[in-house]
Amino acid sequence: MNRLHPRIRVLWALRAVLTAAILGGASWLGSRFAVDAPRWIPAAVFAVALLAGVALALLRYRLWGYEVREDSLYLERGVFTRVRTVVPFVRIQHVDSARGPVERLVGLASTVVYTAGSRGADVKIPGLTPEGSDELQERLKRLAIRAEGDDAV
Amino acid sequence: MRLSPLSVPYRVVEKGASVVFTAAFLLFSGAASFTGGIVGPLVVAGLLGAFLLALVGYEVAYYRRYEYELTADSLDIRSGVLSRRNREIPLRRIQNVDIERNVVQRVLGIAAVSLETAGGSETEAVIRFVPFAEAKRLQREISRLKRGVSAEDADEGGPPAEELFALSPRELALVGLLSFDLRIPGALFFLASGSVPVVSSFVEFGSQLALVAVGGVAFLLAVALVSWFVGAAVAVANYYDFRLTRTSDELQYERGLLRRYDGSIPLDKLQTLAIEDNPLKRRFDYATLAIETAGYGPGQGGEYGSQAAVPLARRGRVVRLANALEPFGEPSFERPPKRVRRRYAVRYLIVLGVATGAFYAIDAALGAGFPWYLVAVALPLVPVAAHYKWKHRGYWLGENHLVTRNGFWRRETKIVPYYRIQTVIDARTLFQRRWRVATVTADTAGSLSLGDKDAAAVDVDEALADELRAELERRLHAALARKRRGGFAFGNVESVEK
Repeated sequence: MNRLHPRIRVLWALRAVLTAAILGGASWLGSRFAVDAPRWIPAAVFAVALLAGVALALLRYRLWGYEVREDSLYLERGVFTRVRTVVPFVRIQHVDSARGPVERLVGLASTVVYTAGSRGADVKIPGLTPEGSDELQERLKRLAIRAEGDDAV
Repeated sequence: MRLSPLSVPYRVVEKGASVVFTAAFLLFSGAASFTGGIVGPLVVAGLLGAFLLALVGYEVAYYRRYEYELTADSLDIRSGVLSRRNREIPLRRIQNVDIERNVVQRVLGIAAVSLETAGGSETEAVIRFVPFAEAKRLQREISRLKRGVSAEDADEGGPPAEELFALSPRELALVGLLSFDLRIPGALFFLASGSVPVVSSFVEFGSQLALVAVGGVAFLLAVALVSWFVGAAVAVANYYDFRLTRTSDELQYERGLLRRYDGSIPLDKLQTLAIEDNPLKRRFDYATLAIETAGYGPGQGGEYGSQAAVPLARRGRVVRLANALEPFGEPSFERPPKRVRRRYAVRYLIVLGVATGAFYAIDAALGAGFPWYLVAVALPLVPVAAHYKWKHRGYWLGENHLVTRNGFWRRETKIVPYYRIQTVIDARTLFQRRWRVATVTADTAGSLSLGDKDAAAVDVDEALADELRAELERRLHAALARKRRGGFAFGNVESVEK
């Protein structure tokens, strides 16, 4: 089972900071203008949200895993709901390598696998190095083409 | 080929009618008198005449410049009066050829032909209008050319269309009886909500409560009755003379009283079948069948869901039809482990507890002496409900199909051929992990709306879920390999074995 790049924790933690800041800001605005609440409430909201967010990010990292198997791509993820997805290579429509602005900032990339399915239609593997992502994309593409060739009618 | 000449007058009337009505209204309502004397009406009449002439001219030009041609591998359409458009639609991309005609068009003997392609929810092209016979020819020829059968073969040896299903008058009547048009109550409530204060201001305060109660009940009854009548009328008009036939690789359906639909569903686009029922239908041995296709689903754009679905029929007939489309056999469902019943019971207890608490809170806040504890009367029903939820849930691994069943009030049995599986998803929520169960979903390329669920084996034992995940993947590969070797194709066993 492959793990994600450890630096993904930084990215997810940053996201948690942002969420905590928004929640803290909203509760500060609320305590300032709407309800008469103690001063420490916004700070507490920020701290709790931050702690929970960071803990979640760490947990998520520990629970994330993927594996390129013989006939399929296998992923395992999720903190509250554990999801295990099997994507047979035959079903891969196309593979993208994507790098968002924040991902570029921390030097990471993700690979997105598309199928024709109605809900598991796109499967994203975040937290790869740019080279790793390109390599995985290339590998999955080759495997998909090979599988397709096997199954050509 | 050209459109039917009758399409010119039809299109002129269709487009011109509203404008002429508006003008006539202006002319006779006296709005023209503002401009004074006879000049106003004359101007309006003159403008109208010019407009009509232009419209007729445009439609004649449209007719003259519209040409289509069916070649061996594409349908070419050249059209457009001012801006020209030449289109070539490759035949293998065409999924459905639907024919539609309303009452007037049926009198004139013309029809609109819609061509649907995969990818994109919109209709690729609509040919308005050709003679009905020509529309049928297009439908037949496109299907034949796609199969790559020569014209002679199709004439003699081609497999005859086999009627799979026809809705009996009794079933049609039942469909009508069971249809409510939910848009009617919505509209009526919206209209009536404004009149309540008006009415109540006329009556004295003392009699108000009784009056409002009586009026309310009468109003509700009227709404129910009206929506029932409308729903019945719409359903009967929609499903009148519904029949489903199968040629070698296509399903064709026909239905409708006033507006007649005539469409085709390629069998190789068929993804899953769903048999639906509820306690009432089960009691009287009826069921509903839905056919899910990839990409564009027939009737998806329409307002009445999947048009190819059998709205209601005897359970035995529905199961036979489903078996004719996908020979899955006789499922014997594997139910979730028995401990799951306790899980459902706990869930219902929580809901009941929350409801009781809410009623208590409302009662305490209003001080109305409302018997809030009445909700708790439902307590003995909890184990019963949990048992039935468990009882109607299950999955079955057939030789070529995964069959899943879920739901008590709206029970849905999904039939998924293994080779249609796209991905296998095993999800375990926090609560499911406590009960050591998991939900295994077989995702397909079906295209029913968002509210519909994929085929899922819900609450199977954890260890079994691991096995099931691997098993489904293995069976998918095996089914694909079998298909590759020229075994069965697209669930159409008999036609291949012939």
